[in-house]
Amino acid sequence: MKATLQVVNRMQADGVIAKYAIGGAVGATFYLEPSATLDIDIFVAFGSASGSLLLSMQPIYDYLTARKYPVEGEYIIIEGWQVQFLPPGDALGEEALAQAVETQVDSVPTWVMTAEHLVALALQLGRAKDFSRVLQFIEAGVLNTVKLDQILSRHELLAKWEQFGDRFLRKR
Amino acid sequence: MSEYMRKVLEGKRDTRRRLAALPFSQKLILLEKLRDRSLLIAASSLRRQQHRRQPA
Repeated sequence: MKATLQVVNRMQADGVIAKYAIGGAVGATFYLEPSATLDIDIFVAFGSASGSLLLSMQPIYDYLTARKYPVEGEYIIIEGWQVQFLPPGDALGEEALAQAVETQVDSVPTWVMTAEHLVALALQLGRAKDFSRVLQFIEAGVLNTVKLDQILSRHELLAKWEQFGDRFLRKR
Repeated sequence: MSEYMRKVLEGKRDTRRRLAALPFSQKLILLEKLRDRSLLIAASSLRRQQHRRQPA
């Protein structure tokens, strides 16, 4: 994983991507116990010489394939890990990317989404494994509930949160 | 819930807490081991046979 992150950091230094943040199961591992995953979700802001936003993922693919990293479906295999680069998609994704926290993996700097943003994104996605992850976050007691409430409110996810609570948290 | 089961669940919670408290770098090493095992299991002939037996 360290080698993978070094490559991603080099992409950033070379201007292929701007800010990035690890999300998904690997991001959640920053806060929780590790759980099996096969890929790394990396949310990226695209950089360009003019500073404008590029909507295409092509520069990422071009950069990595030129360095012999193979593409497999929606993934690029970087130093043994399946990596999926994802654009933020909406305001929640952009905020999660902007507010990501810096950390280090064996002296390699990297950025991870906050626990509250990971929960909000999981709630938004709404698959069974996302709900399971939200429950893990709640059980681990790592969430700032005020901050989470603000995020859910800002991104109109309070109704989904209520539904989640009714389904998984309230005793019948 | 029996006393035995309560202790088992408590032990599991403790283990999860202990793992969650590890440094990120160490957790990523565990993640790699978990991934390798998942891939091994997925590639095993026993699992492939199981898939073949299941109706589509």
